[in-house]
Amino acid sequence: MSLVALPSAIAEASTTGQLGTGAATLAQATADPAGVALFAALALPFLGALVTPLVYRALGERTAWFAALVAFASFGLVASQFGTTGSVSIEWIPTLGVSLSLYLDGLSLLISLLASGVGVLVFVYSAGYMHGEPGQARYYGTLLAFMGSMLGVALAADLIALFVFWELTSITSFGLIGHYRESESSLYAARKSMLITVSGGLFMLVGFVLLAFVSGDALGSTTFTLIGTPDSMIANADAMRTALESAGLFVPVLVLVAIGAAAKSAQVPLHVWLPNAMEAPTPVSAFLHSATMVKAGVYLIGRMRPLLVGDEWMLLLGTLGLVTMTVTALLAVGASDIKELLAYSTASHLGLITAGFGFANQLGAETGAFHILNHALFKATLFLVAGIIAHEAGTRAISELGGLRHDLPITGIITAIAALGMAGVPPFNGFYSKELLFESAYEVAHELGGLAWLFPAVAVFGSVFTFLYSIRFLWLFMGEKPAGLGEVHRPSLALLAPPVVLAGLAMIVGIDPQLAVDTIVQSAFGSAVAGEAHTMSIHLPTELTPAVAMSAITILSGIALSPFYDRLRDGVRRLTHGPLSADWYYDKAVYGLERASGLALPRIQTGQFRTYAAWMLGVTSLLALAGYLAAGISVPAFSDLSITAPVVIVLLVAIVGAAAVTRAPSHIAGVLTLSVLGFMVALFYVLSSAPDLALTQLVVETLVLVIFLLVLDRLPAFYGDADRGKVARDAVLAGGVGLTVTISVLVATAGSPDAIARFFVERAPVPAEHGSILADFGGGSNIVNVILVDFRAFDTMGEISVVAMAALGVLTLVAMRGRGESS
Amino acid sequence: MTQFVLAGVLGLLFAFGTFLVLRRDIVRVVWGVTIISQAANVYLVTMGGLAGSVPILGHGPPDDPATITDPLVQALVLTAIVISFGTTAFALVLTYRIHEEHGTIDLRELGETGGES
Repeated sequence: MSLVALPSAIAEASTTGQLGTGAATLAQATADPAGVALFAALALPFLGALVTPLVYRALGERTAWFAALVAFASFGLVASQFGTTGSVSIEWIPTLGVSLSLYLDGLSLLISLLASGVGVLVFVYSAGYMHGEPGQARYYGTLLAFMGSMLGVALAADLIALFVFWELTSITSFGLIGHYRESESSLYAARKSMLITVSGGLFMLVGFVLLAFVSGDALGSTTFTLIGTPDSMIANADAMRTALESAGLFVPVLVLVAIGAAAKSAQVPLHVWLPNAMEAPTPVSAFLHSATMVKAGVYLIGRMRPLLVGDEWMLLLGTLGLVTMTVTALLAVGASDIKELLAYSTASHLGLITAGFGFANQLGAETGAFHILNHALFKATLFLVAGIIAHEAGTRAISELGGLRHDLPITGIITAIAALGMAGVPPFNGFYSKELLFESAYEVAHELGGLAWLFPAVAVFGSVFTFLYSIRFLWLFMGEKPAGLGEVHRPSLALLAPPVVLAGLAMIVGIDPQLAVDTIVQSAFGSAVAGEAHTMSIHLPTELTPAVAMSAITILSGIALSPFYDRLRDGVRRLTHGPLSADWYYDKAVYGLERASGLALPRIQTGQFRTYAAWMLGVTSLLALAGYLAAGISVPAFSDLSITAPVVIVLLVAIVGAAAVTRAPSHIAGVLTLSVLGFMVALFYVLSSAPDLALTQLVVETLVLVIFLLVLDRLPAFYGDADRGKVARDAVLAGGVGLTVTISVLVATAGSPDAIARFFVERAPVPAEHGSILADFGGGSNIVNVILVDFRAFDTMGEISVVAMAALGVLTLVAMRGRGESS
Repeated sequence: MTQFVLAGVLGLLFAFGTFLVLRRDIVRVVWGVTIISQAANVYLVTMGGLAGSVPILGHGPPDDPATITDPLVQALVLTAIVISFGTTAFALVLTYRIHEEHGTIDLRELGETGGES
């Protein structure tokens, strides 16, 4: 979108915005968002990314501040729309009903504020962290585009736009994870995240297309609009659900969308890309793990929740979330690197959010919405702390670190705030959302009974390990400094300020959770609920509820188990080798594919022209035949031959000519027989009422004959090969191609729609009454000529340029030999 | 029906063309491509129907547009003829240049040596 287009966008925004409010019964609509602010917030990062190379030339490493400024502008623009709900749109592909429409409500506001706000801090941090690193222009440009894509995911109201921004985050994160291009592991990580998240996105796309397909039945007309207008899918969630169920597509759509979200949000077993993604520079990790990328998946789950929530939803996502939460918490305990520990913990907390959204009660949606905020605050802090540790202590190995509180006192304090929040210890921020998860899991179990009791049990079990690794991270600052650890420097202000801000926010949420709820979480929660959302009330518990008991069990078991941390860690490490780890499957699959293509390549790409031609012609024929077969097309029945004698004679001579070409004993004989074919084709044009073609064919045929003779004069005689086996094989392939063409001709000529022809025939001639109509009509008696110079004049111009290019090519090849390159 | 005859003829022309494209001699490959493009043009004209009258009219629209041969395929084929002329000429000169550079027009030899002679 260009800036020039903005004024018209606003004009349209005001009209569609009103529609949006009319329909926005789901959320408590107050006012429309201003289109210009949303579009500008979305466009700024991309524009910033475009000019970053230029800015870098002028500012050098201070580009970080430019990028922070851009992010801050986006943040300000989004924040200025605080409290508004509704959609704004501009047309994109009107004929297909695809428009670029943005929708703002609590959930998208939360995600976009997190993306741009954490973005500002990450850029500031980068100013300190990336000092002296290679490829900074690329780094800042990609990071800005990444932030913009995430804003796009959060704000898109349209499934197509959502998908495009979704894949853009995959592509930009590919560049960021693979930032250190020389490092093998960095490239492996980038490829891995790209393969997994993009293929997950493709599953999601199929789900979206199915949704749009069903929307035709449910809403009267096919739409890609997910939310924001009266005829969007979520505004008609009940009708959509009924239509999905009656078409038998409810479960497929649910599974497909869940695969996309799970790949992005690193849910088991698709979590394997996330730990590798720590190869990225630490600011990127902090950004990717807290406010962007992985949050896209849970955002999608929250967004789709009002549309798809139900028993199947709860079974799939509740289980997926809790399994992920537990498995990856265990893996985090087994980690040996602080960033690896945090990476697994990210997957674990995303599992918690997924499980929260997965539970089909309102408490579940509260969990998801609140934990998105809490996790972003403490996880971004902890990654930035990990960056400070790596930067100042020179190592990230857990076993080599300890007693850091002496050298990094402020960092120690913010780590305590964030890590205790991550552990779910009251009164830190993570406690409240974890409490909500326990509450909703308990409620589900209480309601359903039986196997549903596994939900709260697994939630507690997983949380114990969350507690364990959180405390282990905090312990980096406790105890005594190991002897091997050298001098630890004080971090610069640019490195320290961002985590301090984040930890401060986390602290505020911890002390006064109701403030955070009233500010933003309540409205985000409202977006994830079908129907009317109740009012959230969050405070420190004052009586013993089941959830409080579950929290107490978690913390006490955590404390009881912490002396055995090392044994647990070794146990986890022993278990995660070979076929028990998801990595094993990924590596085997990729290796297998590489081997297969390695085996196929020498057969397909031999450097021999005939191999390429044979594969292309053969495969094209097979594909065409398979297509006819799949579509169940039948060849028309044979009927009597009603063909005039001249045509038969002309065609027979043409075939004889072509046959003679294949058997021509010399080049000259071949060219002459080829001419016979050409002139017969000209005669065929005469007989089929195409005088222009005949004339052109005659002229061209003559010219080609002349050129052939001129060139052949310079070429040696060549009598071809006499390899009988090869000739026989070629004849079989040629026969196959010929057969395919025969069938194609029969199929294609059987039905002949002539609507287009009629249009030209009626409009080409000079109208009987001359007048202004000449502008609309061709005005010539030769319809073919009129088509060429009037209706399809651009095609003709293209054709002329092809001929001109060919002439230039010929001239270059003939005349420029020996100039420049020598043989 | 005309289409059965034409289907057979076009199948044969494509088969001859394919056979030539698989030869070792570059000139024969060029012939093969020429035959295939001629056949493709005839195919297009066939699809427009052969029964109608010439698409050249006097003053004013025709009384019955259905009686006129499809002019659109003719316009397409006209373009195609000219373009295939351009590509044939280019391919021939390329052949000539290959012979000058490598001293051979044997594709197998060129493929085996990767063009290095």
